[in-house]
Amino acid sequence: MIHLRGLTKTYDTPAGAFPALRKIDLEIAAGEFVAIVGKSGSGKSTLLNMVGGIDRPSSGSLTVGGAAIHGLTHNDLALWRGRTVGFVFQFFQLLPTLTVAENVMLPMDFCGMRPAGQRRSRAMELLDRVSVSDQADKLPSALSGGQQQRVAIARALANDPPVILADEPTGNLDSETSAAIFRLFGELAADGKTLLVVTHDQAASSVSRTVTIVDGCVA
Amino acid sequence: MIAARWRKVLRDIAETPLRTALAVVAMAAGAFGVSMILTSYSILTRELKTTYSDTRPASAILSVDGAADDALIDAVRRVPGVSDAEARPVIHGRLRVGEDQWVPLTLFVVRDFRDIRIDRFTRDSGAWPPGDDETLIERSSLSVARAAIGDRVVMRTVDHGERPLRIAGTVHAAGLAPGWMEHAVAGFVSKSFDPQMTQMNADGRNQHLRLSATSADQSEQLRIIVTGDRLDEHHIREVAKRVSQSIGRTFTRIDVPTPGRHPHAAQMDTFLFLLGAFGALTFALSAVLVANMIHALLSEQLRQAGVMKTLGASTRQIAALYLGQVAILAAGALCIGIPLGISAGRAYARFCASMLNATIADATPPLWIIAAEVAAGILIPLLVSFGPVYRASRISIHEAFSNDIGRRPFGARRFDRWLARIQWLPRPLMLSLRTTFHRRGRLILTVATLAAGGAAFIAALNVSAAWTRTLDADGRARRYDVQAVFPHPYPIADVAQALATSPDVLHAEYWTDGGATMGESSVSLVGPDANTKLLAPLLIAGRWLTLGDDAGAVINQSVLSLDPSLHLGGEIPLLISGRIVRWRIVGIVKELNPRPTVYAPRRTILGATGQPPDQTRSVRIVSRQHDVAGQIAASKAIEQALDRAGIGVAGIQALSDSRKSFADHLVIIKTALIFAALLVVLVGGLGLTSTLTLNVFERTREIGILSAIGATPRIIARYVVFEGVVMAVLSWCVAVIVSIPITFALDAATGQMFIRSALDFFLSPAAVAAWLLLVLVLAALSSFYPARRSARLAVREALAYE
Repeated sequence: MIHLRGLTKTYDTPAGAFPALRKIDLEIAAGEFVAIVGKSGSGKSTLLNMVGGIDRPSSGSLTVGGAAIHGLTHNDLALWRGRTVGFVFQFFQLLPTLTVAENVMLPMDFCGMRPAGQRRSRAMELLDRVSVSDQADKLPSALSGGQQQRVAIARALANDPPVILADEPTGNLDSETSAAIFRLFGELAADGKTLLVVTHDQAASSVSRTVTIVDGCVA
Repeated sequence: MIAARWRKVLRDIAETPLRTALAVVAMAAGAFGVSMILTSYSILTRELKTTYSDTRPASAILSVDGAADDALIDAVRRVPGVSDAEARPVIHGRLRVGEDQWVPLTLFVVRDFRDIRIDRFTRDSGAWPPGDDETLIERSSLSVARAAIGDRVVMRTVDHGERPLRIAGTVHAAGLAPGWMEHAVAGFVSKSFDPQMTQMNADGRNQHLRLSATSADQSEQLRIIVTGDRLDEHHIREVAKRVSQSIGRTFTRIDVPTPGRHPHAAQMDTFLFLLGAFGALTFALSAVLVANMIHALLSEQLRQAGVMKTLGASTRQIAALYLGQVAILAAGALCIGIPLGISAGRAYARFCASMLNATIADATPPLWIIAAEVAAGILIPLLVSFGPVYRASRISIHEAFSNDIGRRPFGARRFDRWLARIQWLPRPLMLSLRTTFHRRGRLILTVATLAAGGAAFIAALNVSAAWTRTLDADGRARRYDVQAVFPHPYPIADVAQALATSPDVLHAEYWTDGGATMGESSVSLVGPDANTKLLAPLLIAGRWLTLGDDAGAVINQSVLSLDPSLHLGGEIPLLISGRIVRWRIVGIVKELNPRPTVYAPRRTILGATGQPPDQTRSVRIVSRQHDVAGQIAASKAIEQALDRAGIGVAGIQALSDSRKSFADHLVIIKTALIFAALLVVLVGGLGLTSTLTLNVFERTREIGILSAIGATPRIIARYVVFEGVVMAVLSWCVAVIVSIPITFALDAATGQMFIRSALDFFLSPAAVAAWLLLVLVLAALSSFYPARRSARLAVREALAYE
């Protein structure tokens, strides 16, 4: 599902060129649940951003679900991302002025994935799956952190993408809630989704594989 | 069902009411300012023009020797090129407004009040037409007459003394200059206003007075309108000449008022120009204000734009969302700003029209003006938001999620590194300074907004001050206190003897005054004593008259503008008493008097006009007291002294009164400037307050960090207020600099229009100080409250603030 060949990312900083990723080769099959671990600054998040098309590699090739995303234009990338990848962030990043259900409907809206009339029921289905359907019409600020992260996961699933990327999804949650989130991720993997999760969390024991990054290289 | 993304737009607008309100108010203030000025400008331009042309102004006024009777009128109407003619004799006199206090009075004799064909006027209030011993006063001079309708007043003519006159009503003569500016009264009387005036003497005997056509008081005037191009002055002169040559009568004078121009057209032009100029400045201010507001609104949306991108939103979708948001806010602002602006503009147009003695017949602004206002009100925000929207929609997700969104890190610029070396300041101040300069885009926009307002404010007050200073300088140039004019020449010895009896008279000079023609324009001649100390006008070239100047002359700027080829050392050709004389130009002066005036030694003018040197028609007097009360007391005493000596007075004027009249001509211009300054304060003040408040909202997260590391709300408020103050002071510096070229341009343009010469540049310290004070107070107030609010948020809330 995900193929990285000689992937390199170098940032220009006032202190000079900083290599965040060096010639990474990595293969991840469909349905795998992969944890990416490493110290702070090792390049984990950069790797995730590359796979999600949030950031572009300096060199090397990257294909996700058969698409060579290093060659996509800005707009094609946006559409591809909306349909192929679901993101989950440490600070949830729900849009504060939209209700929970509307947040989940937004990606369908952007990618024109379903007939407009069906979007709400799809959102409710997803919210039900992550056990927050009773909060559907509240604003994110009324929800606890764990609930917000569940909404974020529901939103990531909105367009039924084959790949879910999560950057420290439990970094801001207590251990019990974290465990529940990882259980949810496990279920998604069991359903055939490919999951790539950057984490420090011990609860990540349910993953199928752990990739450790040290100084921008796969250890 | 509305798509979720559009619901986000509506919700963003609805759920941040304070921010939405601030943005809408700022944009509405801009829309208000622009539509108010556009509305009043368009109404006044249209109505002033029609008010004047509706009077059917005379193309030419011919003064005829002998009575202008029906036979003459008929003959004139038959002259080819004459479309219409009407006789309207004029009686010059004075009207008593207090004991020994008189104001100039002009009475127009109307042959038929039911058939007024030229220089029309309309009934305003009271009776119509007037009875035999009655007059209808032009409404703008009623206050000068210090009388009311129904009052009996006393008029006085030189040859015939006093007679009572009843004010039967008022009329509106839009073609006349407003009486309150001229400090003169204009009235209309019927044909049966008997020239054989009957006057009740103090002893009760009736006395017949004869007002002959050759009297100094009355001129038989004939007004004509030409066929063909009524705006072609040359054509009018040709027709007038034809009239004077083809009718077997002697015409003593032919006046051709500038076609299509109201007597106060220069004043109106200046006023309208200022209104237009400040309209443009307000427009610029509003555009920057709107740009600033949108920049502030969008910069806090960058993270959300990033999130939407991770959800698959394309650049176009995001751009459409934000442009839609801007359009909704702009439409809201228009709904408030334009109706308010239009009604304020109409009220202002009415006010200005009343000052110019015009009537607004139709106070609806032209439809295209409203359409333009609406179009500009939507398009300008969309246009200025294009940059920030482009940036927000193109932002990479990576950038959107970074801590310092879209900004180069502090220290990347040389200026940052220089700032970073300043370490002796207290740390919160240091932080304020660095943050201010780090957020460069915001700094530039905020400073630009404040500076645009400040520059307009300072420029308005500068120009107003320049006019005041021109007026003062002109006052200082004339060092006499009272001027008396006689209806015909009197022996100087007689006048001097009469004045010697008045203890108020300190010194008197007998200058000669006259008229000449230069090309087709008439110019005034003033012949002061060559060694006079009573006149020192501001020289812009050459020198003043000296004893040796036999054929030397000093011209004023208005003569120069009639013939720009005139130059120092060159000759000025003048037609005086049918003879061409050439005088050498030794100096050029600048004065407030817009009349073309040539100054030459008294004996030179006497020589050219053939007047006897031992007689005079006027006297300039230095009184013992120079203040206003002293001048008025002296005027009364001089009137009495001349009266006792049997010397008739055509007019007597204290210099303070003529200065007041000049000042009253400037009232409308100064009102426009002060109005512009106030409008800018309103628009700029609202803009400043909302901009700074939004700036603080934008920084809630940063304020949370400060709180987290132990800053008290007080420290935070101080830090934010200091930042506002830094921006205010910066904007003030820019405003002062930018106001200089604007002031120069406005001084030059308005001076040229009104007195035919640029005003002297003056940077008003009061204006500069006032704006500094205003901007500081507004900056402090509009930063303090939002800063305190943010500082009181719980740290967690502030850190999570979006």
